[in-house]
Amino acid sequence: MAFSAEQAECLRRARGLAPEALGLGLRVPHYEYVLEHAPQVDYFEVISENFFGPAPMPRARLERVRARYPVVLHGVGLNLLGCAPLDDRYLDSLSRLADAVDAPFVSDHLCWTGAHGVSHHDLLPAPYVPELVELAAERAYEVQRRLGRPFAIENLSSYVELRSSTLSEWEFYTAVVRESGCWSLFDINNVYVSSQNHGFDADTYLAAIDFSRVLEVHLAGHTREPNGTLVDTHDQLVANPVWALYARAWRMGGPFPTLIEWDARIPPLPELLVELGKAREARR
Amino acid sequence: MSRPAPGWLADFQARFGSMLRTPLDRASGTLTAATAKYDPQLSTEALAGPLASGAERLAVYNRQYWFRLFSVLHAGFPLTARLMGYWELNEVAANYLLAHPPRGWDIEKIADGFPAFFEGSLGESAAASSLTLRLTLIESVRIDAAYREVFRAASLPHFRPSASDAANLLTGRLVAHPALRIVEEHRALLALRTTLLAAPTSAIAEVPPLLARPQFWAIVRLEAGTASIPLEAREAELIALLGRYSVGDALGRLESACTAEERANLPERVRAWLARSIEHGFWCSLRRDD
Repeated sequence: MAFSAEQAECLRRARGLAPEALGLGLRVPHYEYVLEHAPQVDYFEVISENFFGPAPMPRARLERVRARYPVVLHGVGLNLLGCAPLDDRYLDSLSRLADAVDAPFVSDHLCWTGAHGVSHHDLLPAPYVPELVELAAERAYEVQRRLGRPFAIENLSSYVELRSSTLSEWEFYTAVVRESGCWSLFDINNVYVSSQNHGFDADTYLAAIDFSRVLEVHLAGHTREPNGTLVDTHDQLVANPVWALYARAWRMGGPFPTLIEWDARIPPLPELLVELGKAREARR
Repeated sequence: MSRPAPGWLADFQARFGSMLRTPLDRASGTLTAATAKYDPQLSTEALAGPLASGAERLAVYNRQYWFRLFSVLHAGFPLTARLMGYWELNEVAANYLLAHPPRGWDIEKIADGFPAFFEGSLGESAAASSLTLRLTLIESVRIDAAYREVFRAASLPHFRPSASDAANLLTGRLVAHPALRIVEEHRALLALRTTLLAAPTSAIAEVPPLLARPQFWAIVRLEAGTASIPLEAREAELIALLGRYSVGDALGRLESACTAEERANLPERVRAWLARSIEHGFWCSLRRDD
């Protein structure tokens, strides 16, 4: 599939973020290595909310990384499907940070994270119904407009299906991306995790994706609980079936920038670079 | 902005949120989800899957909620967690989080009220039954809190006195830099904290022996990172007084508190302490109250 002109224009803003770019989620244990060794990574992604606060050290380190690498922003607190309106102060903080690092794009998840004044700090599912497609699409459109830069929506890994859903997970996700005019951050590990937990064919999900809207693909490790449930833990190597799914996605819709996330029991950065090399292999 | 969310979504999210906050059961010796306590309507809404029942599927979120928040408190209070033990700390943390559920997008903020809650609940904790451990835990939570607050404090310029400041010094009031905390230890807890952070395990740490005399420290953020600077007892007292009174009043109060022997060389020592406090960026401004 050809890279769309609009998609290419989005990525052009990345100052060197090529469609084939390979990136890593940048976490605190990596900063020292990155700043000292300047490893061969095409770009880094950071968790937006970690840089909203007044503490100067995280911002100072981020600026030093940004001086060498493109940095994209990945949020976990937008609350796109929350019952409350989007938080203006949150959006202002996000917008300022995106401007400060000149983020090629900003992303967050198709989920809710809090309600009734309480934050749950998790990426939570809502019923997949047309009414919420409209709500999420409208809000995502507004986020992209306020940011003045591409906004990508990530598909969730999920552990429960809800009786009131009338759409499949992929129908819901692709409809929100399409109707919002925003972009897709397509997490292939999440597709695999959900497919195992809910018993659907991951390739059906893959076939529903409009790859011309995919700005980035995420890969990560997951954990299998004793009852077989897969949990998106980001604490180990990308599983072989996920690599296989990635290879199929690449053949269907590549090239697309690809990023590996690792958020717990984080190994030294050189080990992540080896993992990133596997993405290169999987594309062949 | 966009349309309001449908009313049923608020109801669904209230039920889901209540499920997330259902305390994990400790009776079995491991933290397990108490699925029987979930809202029945939500349990009906959750479909069974190929691997687990609806309630078991909800339990993944319930466990994640608690473990994620516990891990934030473990990371924010590493000394306290290791002295008390993770299992016991989790119990205090669960009670705290039930009373003070997280608000806002900054997950780190959940820890803001924890030190005060922790100190207040120590009397009820079986894990802190000995007075020695209780007093040590009170100091440890204050030390952990100091490091955390100094790291998270806003960036403000440090006070560097001008010639006119020098002329007004005695009547002015020094404003403490937000990235400064003074802590006191009766056991070598700062050193223990450094050791524990260098070799993280889940084993309970031994309480260090009592020091010959209490040690005061300034925890302060410098260019290179957070530093701990040892303070003399009177120096720590002066820093505390300067935070509350004009420089002149603070000096007067310190002098009154000193013994005759201490007063003999107090002016030189005070000058040295003030110079050091300014050099290390303890202050952000000199405020004129008039």
